[in-house]
Amino acid sequence: MLIEVSGLKKSYTTGTVKTEVLKGVDLKLGKGEIGVILGPSGSGKSTLMNIIGGVDRADSGRVTVDGTEVTRLSDEELTEYRRAEIGFVFQFYNLIPNLTVGENIEVVANISKSPLNIGAVLQAVEMQEKKDRFPRELSGGEQQRIAIARAIVKNPKLLLGDEPTGALDYQTSRSILRLLQQVNKEFGTTILLITHNTAIAAMANRVFKLRSGKIVEEWVNQEVVPAERIEW
Amino acid sequence: MVMALRKRVMRILNENKWRYLGILVLIFLGSYTFIVAAGLAQNLANLVTTFTEEHRQEDLSFRADQVIPDREGLEEAAGAVIEEYLSFDAALSGTLTLRLLSATERLNTPAVIEGRALSGPEEILLDPAFAKANGYPVGSQIEAAGKTFTVAGYMSLPHYIYPLKNVNDILTSPQEFGVGVITREAFAGLVDAERIYAARFNDRTGSLNRQARELREHLRAEGITVSDWIDIMNNRRARLVWASITGMKTMSVPLPVAMFLISCLIIAIMFWRVIRRDAVIIGTLYAQGYRRRELTRHYMTIPLLLALAGGVIGSLLALPSIAPMVMGMVSYYNVPVPGVTINFLNVLAGILTPVLFLGLSSCLVIRTELRRSPAELMRGDRQKTKVNALERALKLERFRFSTKFKLREQFRSIPRLLFLFFGITSASVLMLFGFTAMNSMNRVFEASDVYQFEYEYSFQDLQFGAAPEGAEAFNAGKFYPENNEEMEFYIAGIEPDSRLITLKDLKGNPLPNNQTNITKPLADRMGIKAGDTVTFINKEDGKPYTFKIDAVAASYVEQFIYLPRAEFNAKMGLAENSYRGLFSTKKLAILGEKLSGFKDMSALPGAIDEFMGQLGSVVVMMTVVASVVALIIIYLVTSLLIEESRNTISLFKVFGYKRREIRSLILNSSTLVIVAGFIIGIPLAVASMGAVYGYLGKMINLVLPPVVNPLYVVIAFIVIMLTYQLSKALCAKSVERVAMSEALKAGTE
Repeated sequence: MLIEVSGLKKSYTTGTVKTEVLKGVDLKLGKGEIGVILGPSGSGKSTLMNIIGGVDRADSGRVTVDGTEVTRLSDEELTEYRRAEIGFVFQFYNLIPNLTVGENIEVVANISKSPLNIGAVLQAVEMQEKKDRFPRELSGGEQQRIAIARAIVKNPKLLLGDEPTGALDYQTSRSILRLLQQVNKEFGTTILLITHNTAIAAMANRVFKLRSGKIVEEWVNQEVVPAERIEW
Repeated sequence: MVMALRKRVMRILNENKWRYLGILVLIFLGSYTFIVAAGLAQNLANLVTTFTEEHRQEDLSFRADQVIPDREGLEEAAGAVIEEYLSFDAALSGTLTLRLLSATERLNTPAVIEGRALSGPEEILLDPAFAKANGYPVGSQIEAAGKTFTVAGYMSLPHYIYPLKNVNDILTSPQEFGVGVITREAFAGLVDAERIYAARFNDRTGSLNRQARELREHLRAEGITVSDWIDIMNNRRARLVWASITGMKTMSVPLPVAMFLISCLIIAIMFWRVIRRDAVIIGTLYAQGYRRRELTRHYMTIPLLLALAGGVIGSLLALPSIAPMVMGMVSYYNVPVPGVTINFLNVLAGILTPVLFLGLSSCLVIRTELRRSPAELMRGDRQKTKVNALERALKLERFRFSTKFKLREQFRSIPRLLFLFFGITSASVLMLFGFTAMNSMNRVFEASDVYQFEYEYSFQDLQFGAAPEGAEAFNAGKFYPENNEEMEFYIAGIEPDSRLITLKDLKGNPLPNNQTNITKPLADRMGIKAGDTVTFINKEDGKPYTFKIDAVAASYVEQFIYLPRAEFNAKMGLAENSYRGLFSTKKLAILGEKLSGFKDMSALPGAIDEFMGQLGSVVVMMTVVASVVALIIIYLVTSLLIEESRNTISLFKVFGYKRREIRSLILNSSTLVIVAGFIIGIPLAVASMGAVYGYLGKMINLVLPPVVNPLYVVIAFIVIMLTYQLSKALCAKSVERVAMSEALKAGTE
């Protein structure tokens, strides 16, 4: 297994109010698989993904990614972990507006030990022509393609997507999902997506349903559906 | 304004207190400098004008070969007041000289500034700097010229405002020279006392040169030969104070205005940003019925508050500083100070100017923003994604990523870039200005290696024959260009094989003295170059004389044309072996009564050290102010940059960038602009110094070269870079504070 999560708990305290966001989550995802975490707003999916991605800390429990126990890493070690192992794709793309497409990808390639060729990555996301454009000059779907290219240029072990189609229309969403599936196949990248769109579950190898900080349902997809055939 | 909005103002100020404090300091510095400099210049100008008018400063002085027989008749003919006074240089020790002057009643009357006026021949009035430096309090006794005087008080003399021993000196040294006034009776027995005439024309608006020429003609008609003719315009004892006042006036406007403009620009940029960031809030308030003027009023509160607070603090601190500064400046000169006046118009200007500047610029920015519709404002995405034309035009493929990123960060906001660039340039110019001044003065004194003699003797009458052993004879006359009577310089005939005047060309190679050489400042001032033939008018006889210039010599202190003595004498129609002065390496046994002037070069180093000490403290002050300005500017820009790059910083953290990598990318992005601003500052400092020196040169007949010593450039650069490092250290925490959650939540709010 690439990801092993067990007994993961996390709470936030605001003033005197303590909110338990994760109440003992257990989850496993194999190498090269696509996992989808389904859940409504406030179910704790972003918190779970942030802890797996090393940008947040758990109160208790264990997260192991490719043998590294993430929950025991120091701040510096977490930085190294994110730098080497994790790729992020956000709902609102988070491209740097004053850098060109090529330069946005360079942001990550710059700190990777053995990054993929930027041209090849751009070709993979079908954005080679737009290399010198600024994000503002691109559509939402194109921006998300660049965000995916930026995430995969370091050839991460794990690509985390937080509602990657949340801001896109139906057709564009399907093309982005197709791209993610293609990346998974082409580069062997393990992908973990969080979404509230249940239809996306069809393209995953494993699906986890999260509600009020707990995995309430979990299943393995025997027949993974190609993204272009997903409908909602 | 609605109460709830008003509460926000203090919160905004509190959130970015260091930034607003920086702006406040910039405004305060501008206001303070303006009020102090203007107050200082006005007070000094008033003090000097009042003093020279009330105590009837001379228009010129001269020595005559005989007592003027019909002074009253001459006064009437020349339309002038003429008064004779006596002068005697009493040596108090080997290095200390006190010049005793007889008390006058019609011209150059002494102003008693402490103690009381003279009541008898046993009393003396002293110049206060001399008395203080040598320990002569009022009531004490002083031995001079074989007599004992009681110090009745201290005085100022209108023709010795800057008590130089010789009229061509540059620096005073009260440890070596001072002036005292005694009654005319007290001169009894002082056979070597010189008789000097002071004249002041009744027509105060007519040409001084014309009236002086006429007086000279009258004197000649009476058969009187004059020497040591000194116009007040060329008398540094009286003119140097005006150079200071003019310098002060010149500086009192541009420096504070530059600071106001910088503050104005940064506040405008910052508020533009604040408003853009607040676009959603503004749009919401706008949509809910807030009027434009209510929102304008709200967003103008902070700039107006800062401008008012900065102006008031600057004024309040400036007011008590004026009097001590006037006294400090006056102590450098000798002018009575009956009182220091404060011009409340200046105070008003010091407060209202920043309010006006900042109010207008902020209003413009706010009104521009508020022109957008509430819907557009509520979207609030304009600032985040906009790319300017320059960013678009940049082709950075060949650079490393970090270089590309830093360049893009800088070019992201042109006003911010310009602010940083001009801010650093201004701070560098200010700092280099100080260092250049020190360099230039150093160079002036270093350049005195032209003069290899220790003593210079000027005779009242023309001398003939060979010079005494160890001395070289010279002859000299004052000249002016045909079209510029106000300019005056010496043309000197020296020995063709002179060892005591050693001139060098601009490359440092020795120049022979058997040709006509012009010193560089004079050549520059009149646009003369080697090979030119020039005509000048002799001030004594009013006739034109033509000279062919062979070379330009690198000298700075004086403005001279040197040619062989025989050639000079021939041109002037003087006997071939005649001379008016001697240069000597040792003291000569010459009777005092034969001399009209005596210069001891060894008196100079002490004065130079004292002057350089004073200049040094001015330079330190300018460096400190420049560093503070640079620190504030760099800090403001860096904190703005961090503010605008929060999402990027947060993303970098998420992607796994290390702290030092983020700090390097964000905080070091200004390095290129700072270095460029500093480099541009160098020629600007030289050019502005050249302009100021040119102006001062005309005032005091002394040309200072704007010299930049590479060592001082390096020092200034190090200071600027240290300031940069300090501001980066101050901002590093802000970078640390940016959380990863900002990028993760971006766009979801």
